[in-house]
Amino acid sequence: MGTNRAFFAVITLGVLLAGCASTPVQPWERGRLARWDMRWDPDPLQAAANEHAHFSKEGSGGHIGAAGGGCGCN
Amino acid sequence: MSASKLSPSLAALMGAAAALTSAAHAQTAAEGGTTVGYRFNEYGEDSFDGAAIGSRERYKVYSQQFQLDTRLPNNAGLDVTATHEVMSGSSPWYVLRGADARPVQVLSGATIREHRNELRGSYTIDPGTASSTTYSASYSQERDYRAGALGIERSIPLNAALTLGTGASLSHDIIQPTDAALYDRVRHEEKNTFSAFGSLAWVIDKNSVLQAGVQLNHEDGYLSDPYKLVSVGSDILPDHRPGTRSNAAVLLRYRHAFAHPDAALHLDYRYAQDSWGVVSHTVDVGWYQRLGQGWQLIPALRYYSQQEARFYAPFFGVDEHRFFSSDYRLGTFGAFAASLNVRKRIARWEFSGGIERYHAAADYALGSADSAVPGVLSYTRGFVGLDYHFD
Amino acid sequence: MNANSRSFRFSAMGCPCEVKLEGADDDVLQRAAKAARDEVERLDRKYSHYRDDSLVAQLAACADAGGDMHVDDETANLLDFSASLFEQSAARFDITAGPLTKLWDLQSARVPEQQRIDAALAHCGWQRVRWNRPHLHFSTTGMRLDLGGVVKEYAADRAAEKCREARVSHGVVDLGGDLAVIGAHIDGAPWLAGIKTPHDPARPLATIELQRGGLATSGDYERAMIVDGRRYSHIIDPRSGWPVQSFASVSVLAENCLVAGAAATLAMLFGVEEGAAWLARLGLPHLCVDTQGNVNGTLA
Repeated sequence: MGTNRAFFAVITLGVLLAGCASTPVQPWERGRLARWDMRWDPDPLQAAANEHAHFSKEGSGGHIGAAGGGCGCN
Repeated sequence: MSASKLSPSLAALMGAAAALTSAAHAQTAAEGGTTVGYRFNEYGEDSFDGAAIGSRERYKVYSQQFQLDTRLPNNAGLDVTATHEVMSGSSPWYVLRGADARPVQVLSGATIREHRNELRGSYTIDPGTASSTTYSASYSQERDYRAGALGIERSIPLNAALTLGTGASLSHDIIQPTDAALYDRVRHEEKNTFSAFGSLAWVIDKNSVLQAGVQLNHEDGYLSDPYKLVSVGSDILPDHRPGTRSNAAVLLRYRHAFAHPDAALHLDYRYAQDSWGVVSHTVDVGWYQRLGQGWQLIPALRYYSQQEARFYAPFFGVDEHRFFSSDYRLGTFGAFAASLNVRKRIARWEFSGGIERYHAAADYALGSADSAVPGVLSYTRGFVGLDYHFD
Repeated sequence: MNANSRSFRFSAMGCPCEVKLEGADDDVLQRAAKAARDEVERLDRKYSHYRDDSLVAQLAACADAGGDMHVDDETANLLDFSASLFEQSAARFDITAGPLTKLWDLQSARVPEQQRIDAALAHCGWQRVRWNRPHLHFSTTGMRLDLGGVVKEYAADRAAEKCREARVSHGVVDLGGDLAVIGAHIDGAPWLAGIKTPHDPARPLATIELQRGGLATSGDYERAMIVDGRRYSHIIDPRSGWPVQSFASVSVLAENCLVAGAAATLAMLFGVEEGAAWLARLGLPHLCVDTQGNVNGTLA
């Protein structure tokens, strides 16, 4: 998939989502969202270990978040 | 108020309130408590399959992580993680042009055991809220490599449904390859990395959230691999990559909670491209299933595909090449990984464990694989973990 | 004696808060006020702010999904207290009555259909919660747990305690009308609290003298709904799902704000007739104002 198609997909998704009318979620309705399994990274230690393993064996790593220092992983 | 005998109902009320009104009520200011965690990870690559010279026993890594996550007074949090890794095994060194122009992977001899230590810390103001600020620092060290990094992240609520995330980090790495004189490697090289990101998180409804983000990275300095060589014509030359690398990535993450199978679905997609010509797609799907009695089962799948760097090839002809590398990690390949994690909570203890199986191959890439990528690997990874929650 | 009299105002728990302190050393007063404010804000954050991993969010998730949770000592004490109030009020005081109050709140100017009331009732009820300190278990899904009804008075007492710990012995904590006395004025004079007249906030109905203890007021006059000439209060009886014909306001004086608040709330829940009798039996100084404006009670 070329660069153009990727960005087109992202913009389309953005437009579609913006178009979805949504009633605001009240504070007392956020309980389910606060549960452990709904976090971006429920187990940060594991997420870090996963990224380290994948990043050191693939060509493009990183994640949303501050990057740490590298390693001499071979 | 009279000093007469208390009515039964008053006595009942006061008795019920006693625990809450006792002057000796010792309540720590820390909210959310403290957790300590331990993880043991094992990583083992499959032996090399295919035409090769050298030890086929590839890399094995054992690592242990210790984490302390605690709340501090004044609504702050501290998270410190220490990691110790032990690594051994051979790795791809260079590729020879074999008979019929088929690549022959030369692997380094099995290395002696190497150790790597890392310490990471982060200090967060207003943790767990939509407007938090985190300062982080990390330092890692191994025999031939040292790296330090500093980062800052800020989360800003835009309205009840949208949160903006931003962050930046800087790191400095120093490499001093082992056996530099023996193998005529560079002696001392450095690189700097600057990274910034922006993200938007959207609460769609009471069961779903979506996050979209952009990350930019720029590396400057020595970016080649001093342990790798490249076959160029009839010469074997050191790996030579550009002195800068810029990278942009777009990330989408979706989380959806289900009530009837008491579970949550995680879907992540990442697209990245960089100035070396590497383009990649990553898709992660995870299913977090609650089984009752404090058990959680988490199967997950990952698919990764990348397109090679402009200067990648298993080996090169005699033409002039400014940059060249035969590191399989810059080739065109795809990888599938499947994992299964289990968690169990008993009172204040939480047990976790999991296993991942990963296979990469040139054929798994999206788009055509122009060159072979000898050296692409498969591995098995497992871990066990224990967490303890203090109140 | 050369004494300072300071008043520290801030906003928390959805209401204006004030800590009035008296003492010789201004630094001591400042530190005490800060400690008191920090404690109120801590409780406000802990028990009413929904954040990604806050206790309230976890409680809400647990109640909504029907699950188990392990709570800390402070929360356990509040749950024990709420459980006791449930028994003493014969199930009228119920921290799981959220779905019902939400239903009536959203129905501005309309009485909800019995069907919807029955549906909300199915998701309320402390009897549906298994509480075995420190484990909380919800046997039904879609429930809510709201400790807001006891936390404000508890916070007033805790703030007063923090001031005493900071060596201030003269002052009063006022959290939106719920008062916890640290100690009388330096000269021995009591603090004076004015009880608002329903519908006429400018004119105090009564002035109460406080040497020690706490004063709490439960009021309904600001939030009742009038439909077809009939008045529906916002005090819902969780057993039937319908509003209680209650007082416009009840104020109670007790040894601490928590007990005062519990008594005022229970009196409102019992309704005009039973409530008046219960307060009389209780033996605490109190003041009740009914919807017609009649004032009764030992402080009247």
